[in-house]
Amino acid sequence: MGLRELQGYASFFMTIFLVVMLYGYIVYLYRSEKKGKKDYEKLGKIALDDEIDSAPVNTSDPLPDEKKEQNK
Amino acid sequence: MQSNAALEYDYTVAKLYTYTAIVFGFVGMLIGTLIAAQLAWPELNYLFGEYGTFSRLRPLHTNVVIYGFTVSGVFATFYYSAQRVLKVSMAESKFVNGVAKLQFVLYFIAAASMVITELMGITQNKEYAQMEWPLDLLIVVIWVLWGVAMFGLIGIRREKALYISMWYFIACFLGVAMLYLFNNMAVPTYFTSGGVGSIMHSVSMYSGTNDALVQWWWGHNAVAFVFTVPIVAMIYYFLPKESGQAVYSYKLSLLSFWGLMFVYLWAGSHHLLWSTVPDWMQTMGSIFSVVLILPSWGSAINMLLTMKGEWNQLTENPLIKFMVLASTFYMLSTLEGPIQAIKSVNAIAHFTDWIPGHVHDGVLGWVAFMIMAGLFHMAPRMFKREIYSKKLIEAQFWLQTTAVVLYFTSMWIAGITQGMMWRAVDEYGNLMYSFIDTVTVLHPYYAIRALAGILYLTGFVMFAYNMVKTMTSSRELSEEPQFRSPMA
Amino acid sequence: MFHWLEKNPFFFAVGVFLVIAFAGLIEILPNFAEASRPVAGLRPYTVLELAGKEVYKKDNCIACHSQLIRPFKAETDRYGQYSLSGEYAYDRPFLWGSKRTGPDLHRVGNYRTTDWHENHMWEPTSVVPGSIMPAYKHMFTNKADIATAYAEAVTVKNLFNTPYGDDIKAGKEAFESYKPKILAEAKKIAAEMKNQDVKDAVAKGEIPEIVALIAYLNSLGDSRYAAAK
Repeated sequence: MGLRELQGYASFFMTIFLVVMLYGYIVYLYRSEKKGKKDYEKLGKIALDDEIDSAPVNTSDPLPDEKKEQNK
Repeated sequence: MQSNAALEYDYTVAKLYTYTAIVFGFVGMLIGTLIAAQLAWPELNYLFGEYGTFSRLRPLHTNVVIYGFTVSGVFATFYYSAQRVLKVSMAESKFVNGVAKLQFVLYFIAAASMVITELMGITQNKEYAQMEWPLDLLIVVIWVLWGVAMFGLIGIRREKALYISMWYFIACFLGVAMLYLFNNMAVPTYFTSGGVGSIMHSVSMYSGTNDALVQWWWGHNAVAFVFTVPIVAMIYYFLPKESGQAVYSYKLSLLSFWGLMFVYLWAGSHHLLWSTVPDWMQTMGSIFSVVLILPSWGSAINMLLTMKGEWNQLTENPLIKFMVLASTFYMLSTLEGPIQAIKSVNAIAHFTDWIPGHVHDGVLGWVAFMIMAGLFHMAPRMFKREIYSKKLIEAQFWLQTTAVVLYFTSMWIAGITQGMMWRAVDEYGNLMYSFIDTVTVLHPYYAIRALAGILYLTGFVMFAYNMVKTMTSSRELSEEPQFRSPMA
Repeated sequence: MFHWLEKNPFFFAVGVFLVIAFAGLIEILPNFAEASRPVAGLRPYTVLELAGKEVYKKDNCIACHSQLIRPFKAETDRYGQYSLSGEYAYDRPFLWGSKRTGPDLHRVGNYRTTDWHENHMWEPTSVVPGSIMPAYKHMFTNKADIATAYAEAVTVKNLFNTPYGDDIKAGKEAFESYKPKILAEAKKIAAEMKNQDVKDAVAKGEIPEIVALIAYLNSLGDSRYAAAK
């Protein structure tokens, strides 16, 4: 197997890998929100509430009381 | 958190870059207007002897607007918004602050040397990478310093989650670093020839077709990582902040980010369609250019939807106008680009004025609009004064929008006319036009373009005047505005 | 896994880098060796021609002129045989350009003469009525930088195996002893020119930019294959 052929295979599988990763990420995003593990939309607030003394949004984890509501 | 109640964001470096953005923006657009006029009226080539010809000034125009105006705008908005989305002040780290200031000083030296060397004709002659090797080395230092400041600031952040703008700024840093290094690989001939000739001269490590590939891998992606990625970073911060509306879909912004990162780089070879680079690469460039519509429109639509239910702001706040129009022009040019990358369209469009037309609806309508809106938004917060004149912004908006429309419509017609005339044959299959016919026919379009340049430049002068007045003599604000920027 | 990527700026940066570096690896690396091979019989540029290429670069001719003939009938009719990859093997940098405000120049040496270029560079409209190209009169007085061109030849010979003769080697003395050859080539060009100042300068041993530039423009085309034919 020549170098060119090896490069061909490498690029093919790398492309497949990246595509799988991208779709995996989409699934991950929506699933973790549905399960209530995360709240990505909350991160949008970082831009709005950006005073130096305002409380950090910190993580994409939802607040405890939000979680409770979703579990009801 | 520190108990120091007086802790504030430190905008020193952001201010410095704001000044250079205004100065370089004016200089770059002035040269641009002059060379546009030279194409319509060639006598204008002789204003400054050998330093005033179209050919000598054209790279100066592109470099001053890219590396002077746009990059200043990127650094200004970065040093402003990064502090805020990370909720940490530059003043909290002497080290980061020092690095950022040093970066500015070196940046200014590099930009000034760039102008001088290019006027002298000292150039590598690769488009958007004209600067010779000593300047390249200086730029590497500047870029590394930016990285140190960026990751230093990230290291001491309070806000643990990185806002999407920061993602884009990081990508800008990495992408430009990689591409710039590879494209500028050159050997300084003075040292390899035993001290013969000019010390400034270097010879590219790549030749011919390889050089072309590396160059357009850079050339195209300089557009990606200087004209797109950091500008998207700006709009993701400034539009929500100015309008008080959170990003419509944060998840969409994340997906668009990865899509853009993956797809953009492949599209570089669309600059080399029908050339001597292998066919499969040309096809690859063509296909990926079309796919690129998706992540680009993902971001643009996300921005427009952010304004959902708040469209009244469009009539009330001129800054929103600038930003909404910017994302509209972004959509236009990211649709136009892929169309030009289709091989059969490219056969006509390549080498014609349609290409500068396409570039300019992107840079005038998207990049410059966004940077100016960003700087307007920052001004009341940095200088603690309200914006000097709302009327002036409105007038500027309409003037510049007219200019962009005149620019790209005239260049569309010019480009397609030229492309069709080059290939026109009579009934016996002979070429119908000599080359000069295809030049003289363009005169009216070149004249319209020069007019567009004058209008846009006038708008920019209004922007500069408004900014200077805001800094110096506008009404002082007692407290920082939360969303909408106050203006008189 | 994704959670971790979002949180840690370092791993995030590595991820971004991998994704953006991928396309370059695939598109550029595989073809490198092949694309740099010259077509049979192609000779490298002479030192005078290299100096002319520097003038071409200095005054940024690529702003308006391409050096790439695409494989369409309209283009081959106008400019000649379409361009081949191997013809650019000694072009560092490549000078394809991206805009044709003026015509393509890849084979301009086949159909334009020294005399034509002299008139054209002095006053473009004298040979092409309606031309919007600026006149480049300063090229008739500015001197070409022969030393730097020589340094470039030495560099590409030693580093990239460009086939120059043994008389091109590093060092100032080597350059001084090579100089007469460059001058002899310049004299041939000057002999075909009319401008008296240029002729006088060459007679004195100086080489105006225009002479080097014309040498370079004449080399674009079949004359660089002379050895094979």
